[in-house]
Amino acid sequence: MKRVWILGLLAAAAGAAQNARTNPLAQDKNASEGGRTLFRIMCSPCHGIKADGGRGPDLTLGVFRNGTTDGDLYEVISNGVPGTEMPGYGGPRLPEEDVWRLVSYVRSVARRAETNVPGNRQAGEQIFWAKGQCGQCHQVGTRGGKMGPDLTRAGRTRSLAYLRESIVDPSADITPGYATIRVVTRDGKTIAGAQRGLDNFSAQLVDTAGNFYSFRKDAVRSLKRELQSLMPSYKASLSETELTDVVAYVASLQGEEGR
Amino acid sequence: MKRWSLFFAMAAALGAAEINSETLRNAQQDANNWISTGRTLNGWRHSPLTQINTSNVKRLTPQWVYQTGTLGRFEGTPLVFDNRMYITGPDNHAWALDLLTGRPIWHYYKALPPGVSICCGRVNRGFAALGKKLYKMNLEAKLVALDADTGKMLWETQVDDTKKGISGTVAPIIAKNLVVVGVAGAEFGIRGFIDAYDADTGKRAWRFYTVAGPEDPGSKSWGGDSYRRGGGSIWVAGTYDPESNLVFFGTGNPGPDMNGDPRPGDNLYTCSIVALDADTGKLRWHYQNTPHDVHDWDSISDPVLADVMVNGRKVPAVIQANRNGFFYALERASGKVLVAKAYTKVTWADGIGADGRPILISGQGPSEEGTKACPGIGGGHNWQATTFNPQTGWYYFGTTEGCQIYYNTKMEFREGEWYQASTAQGLPTDPQTGAVVALDPGTGAVKWKFEMLTSPSAGLLSTAGGLVFAGDPQGYIFGLDAKTGKSLWDFFTGGPVSAPPMTYTLNGKQYLTVATGGSIMTFALADEAGRGRGGAGR
Repeated sequence: MKRVWILGLLAAAAGAAQNARTNPLAQDKNASEGGRTLFRIMCSPCHGIKADGGRGPDLTLGVFRNGTTDGDLYEVISNGVPGTEMPGYGGPRLPEEDVWRLVSYVRSVARRAETNVPGNRQAGEQIFWAKGQCGQCHQVGTRGGKMGPDLTRAGRTRSLAYLRESIVDPSADITPGYATIRVVTRDGKTIAGAQRGLDNFSAQLVDTAGNFYSFRKDAVRSLKRELQSLMPSYKASLSETELTDVVAYVASLQGEEGR
Repeated sequence: MKRWSLFFAMAAALGAAEINSETLRNAQQDANNWISTGRTLNGWRHSPLTQINTSNVKRLTPQWVYQTGTLGRFEGTPLVFDNRMYITGPDNHAWALDLLTGRPIWHYYKALPPGVSICCGRVNRGFAALGKKLYKMNLEAKLVALDADTGKMLWETQVDDTKKGISGTVAPIIAKNLVVVGVAGAEFGIRGFIDAYDADTGKRAWRFYTVAGPEDPGSKSWGGDSYRRGGGSIWVAGTYDPESNLVFFGTGNPGPDMNGDPRPGDNLYTCSIVALDADTGKLRWHYQNTPHDVHDWDSISDPVLADVMVNGRKVPAVIQANRNGFFYALERASGKVLVAKAYTKVTWADGIGADGRPILISGQGPSEEGTKACPGIGGGHNWQATTFNPQTGWYYFGTTEGCQIYYNTKMEFREGEWYQASTAQGLPTDPQTGAVVALDPGTGAVKWKFEMLTSPSAGLLSTAGGLVFAGDPQGYIFGLDAKTGKSLWDFFTGGPVSAPPMTYTLNGKQYLTVATGGSIMTFALADEAGRGRGGAGR
């Protein structure tokens, strides 16, 4: 564990050294307001209209997983974070000045609040792999199933409130590509599974046994996307304490597990 | 003498004809070529070709693909004449391709200078042609004339200062010897305009401001000096009626988009259809679809010129599926509303009144905390090309179906900087879908809808073969039965289709071309034995 921490610190230090650029608009009083306008258009769909998180991390905490300097934030906004849903907005999408305006806005909303996560992480881990059977569908590192979204880095990319909502009401906001596809074949067989691909003429899905299917719409009796997650709600099956513990465990997943 | 005759005869056979006012006027009879962005000056995008039809469309197979090597979206319709295809691409690229093989003949490129503010992609929507010249708008708001044989630049005219936030994406149209264009940039608080330039010299003939100034009849529709940053972009080609000598354009949103407080009034002539004298640019009439728009509902869609049957009477009309969710048929001579009917879910207006104004429903405007309203920010129908089919008498267009949450905020204007004052977002539990719609323009009645998961991102093409072709953002190009909307053919191209399909002939064989991803892809019917590249000319 200690080794991991040292490695993390080294990586952070190296990252900081590589991204020592300072915000040229840091003294511009209008920069953060300009950034707010851009944020509402470009960033709020994932980070929330008030930057307090959702599908993307809560930025008001002022804790940034991919670097802490203005230069780091600039890099993340410009180039995205590989392996996550965060795309890059630099180049043709946003001129350099606008990226700096976004950095100014993100700095202005960061209130550096208490970042302690409530709940018992270890207890949550037990529930995740045993009582909750979450690992049947979700992967953490190299362990677990592949039907649901990979949670290896979920703590970096999802706010606490979002994680809690995903457990008690999984259909509130389905991760893109994880809706349910239900197909009835011409011989009357029904096949349901998690969406792996969907367009106006075909669908690809994986069923609970891990089987991959691909269908053309005109070759089946019916093919429907249901905006209903295949994941059950844990609202009734977990106590409030257990729920908080599972959120604490998932929030602790930072991408190192199983590597 | 005999030799010369033979030479000219050969030249004619190769189709080395010049485009002039007459060929443009009679383009509907020229089934083999495609010589203006809307195929005909009236913007029908309807081909008389029948070789590819409802009974054989399933045999369409790829013939050639030209990979342009560029990133970004293709949104333009290729032109075809002189056995060549002329197409514009993103980032100020353009090409001439050999029709038979798809091989490049020439390539034009102009590096984008720094400091140009571009709203919604470094795109271009096509060429216009006259004589042996091709005309295009460059992103840096330059109108450029190219030699169609070589791609060499013949002249270029800077239409205005890009520091104001203007840019150029529209396909020009030709009216007599004038090249008519407009500028984009409402999201940067420009004052928009439509310009006409001499096709030979590039000298400006007239300008019409789409935002009324102090000297204009509509000046009282802008509070204070808000007209100076009033928007009114022109980013989709207009149409031209040689009979009345009028050009028709749909105009874009007022600025700032989502916050109407800084610009009290109707904000003429934004979100309107305008009819201008082609010789002078004088306003003949206007109709404002969305007075004081706060939802970014440009009236930018093609103003198609068609005769429609209204109450048993044939009326020359301008028809348009507007982004605000209503279909309109306007009397072409006056702008009077003939038909106005919602074609999708609309929550902001309870119809269009006898005075031509929308009957507003309160509480539908954007707010700091968000307000749900329908249609979404992209419409209804947005900018993608529409088609009128004279065989069915129906009008076809793509839609986005559903609602969004609209936000606004206060925003200070700074020249050349983003001035939208917020945005709209989707509803995760009720995502928007799409459709291809067939509508009777004489009544506004929807005849059929081909329902889709996503809106058809490409424009449409109709043919006398009984087909409507469309494309989608996942990468499909597909053909529907024009009478029923039934899907008859589809092909996955591997790249998003953002450009309208078009069709033409070469050596007696009908081809279908569409830009997809960074490639230009051409289809034709497989031969009887099922071989993909059979048929004449091969």
